Amino acid sequence: MKKAVVAAAGFLMALAFSVPAMAHFQTIYTPEAALVKGGKIPLALVFTHPFEAGHTMDMGKPEQFFVICTRGENKPKKMDLLGTLKPITWTSLTNSGAAWETTYSARGGDHIFCLIPEPYWEEGDGFYIKQNTKVIINVGGEPGAWMEPVGLPTEIVPLAKPYDRWTGNVFQGQVLFNGKPVAGAEIEIEYMNHKPLLDKKAFAKAAAAEAPQDAFVLQTIFADVNGVFTFGIPKAGWWGFAALDLDPDYTFKGKKCSRDAVIWIKAVDMK
Amino acid sequence: MFNRSMLVFAVLIIGLALAGPALAHTPLCSCYDNGDGTVTCEGGFSDGSSASGVQMRVEDSSGVLIKGKMDEDSEFTFDKPSSAYKVVFDAGEGHVVEVDGKEITE
Repeated sequence: MKKAVVAAAGFLMALAFSVPAMAHFQTIYTPEAALVKGGKIPLALVFTHPFEAGHTMDMGKPEQFFVICTRGENKPKKMDLLGTLKPITWTSLTNSGAAWETTYSARGGDHIFCLIPEPYWEEGDGFYIKQNTKVIINVGGEPGAWMEPVGLPTEIVPLAKPYDRWTGNVFQGQVLFNGKPVAGAEIEIEYMNHKPLLDKKAFAKAAAAEAPQDAFVLQTIFADVNGVFTFGIPKAGWWGFAALDLDPDYTFKGKKCSRDAVIWIKAVDMK
Repeated sequence: MFNRSMLVFAVLIIGLALAGPALAHTPLCSCYDNGDGTVTCEGGFSDGSSASGVQMRVEDSSGVLIKGKMDEDSEFTFDKPSSAYKVVFDAGEGHVVEVDGKEITE
């Protein structure tokens, strides 16, 4: 009996330590997804827990960071941005971590930003995390090839224009691994609940929403047999979708590495 | 009565055409100062279709300064006029966009 109690207590403690109700999210942050006019836009790459603006992880130098510019029927153009990145320190509500920033000159059409980060060693979980991340912005309203896969090893391809969503619309995406749909992929969703303040390189203290219970901090859905998921957007702002562990056998430096695919979209209130 | 409703309808259609966005096939044109004495205009349509071949005009108060058309990438580059000017993207009736030179920046 006593033994069982000890075991139960141990189990509960393990649970308490191992199940924070939040997920790691690689972000590519810029304030607006749908710009009226072109010009210079700021970008910040931060690896964090966005809903709670919590623990921000140290990012290594990304393996790749580039943009695909596509407008109308023009052939998409790829531009390397890795050399433009400058190291910064990003301050969360609980710590600070190594991050990156740059500015980018955008003209009309779609700009598909793609980040392949260096794997991150997550001591708490005992495995690496590698979140290939995509953000699509548009200037001027003329679309490009936002619906086409870029060809990242792990990728979420939007089935709804990611920068034209009103609050309350659904967002649909398809999860791909090496270009093939991942049936039943698990997708975690978080809201950018604390505004990133680019001038201060920190999250705002004020939260836009309050979770009534931990389950709401990090929402979970699954893709269907075609790797397609659907999410109704309840609030304006940036929403992150992370499809997890799409290549379960993948290892990095002899350890398990979760290969994830992340996309961020921004919804706007109808008013 | 019939004539009147026709008129209202016509006005509504013109209004829609002038209002621009929210039509399925809206013409779009944005211009950028390249910083080297030239200006590049990008044209297209809101459904993503090409504006290649669309007539382009650069005008000032006295008339047309430069005439040309959108290239195969739906772009049109011209030497920036020294006086006040506007750019006209003319894809036909109801598909005209005018860009004031004052609003063209890098």
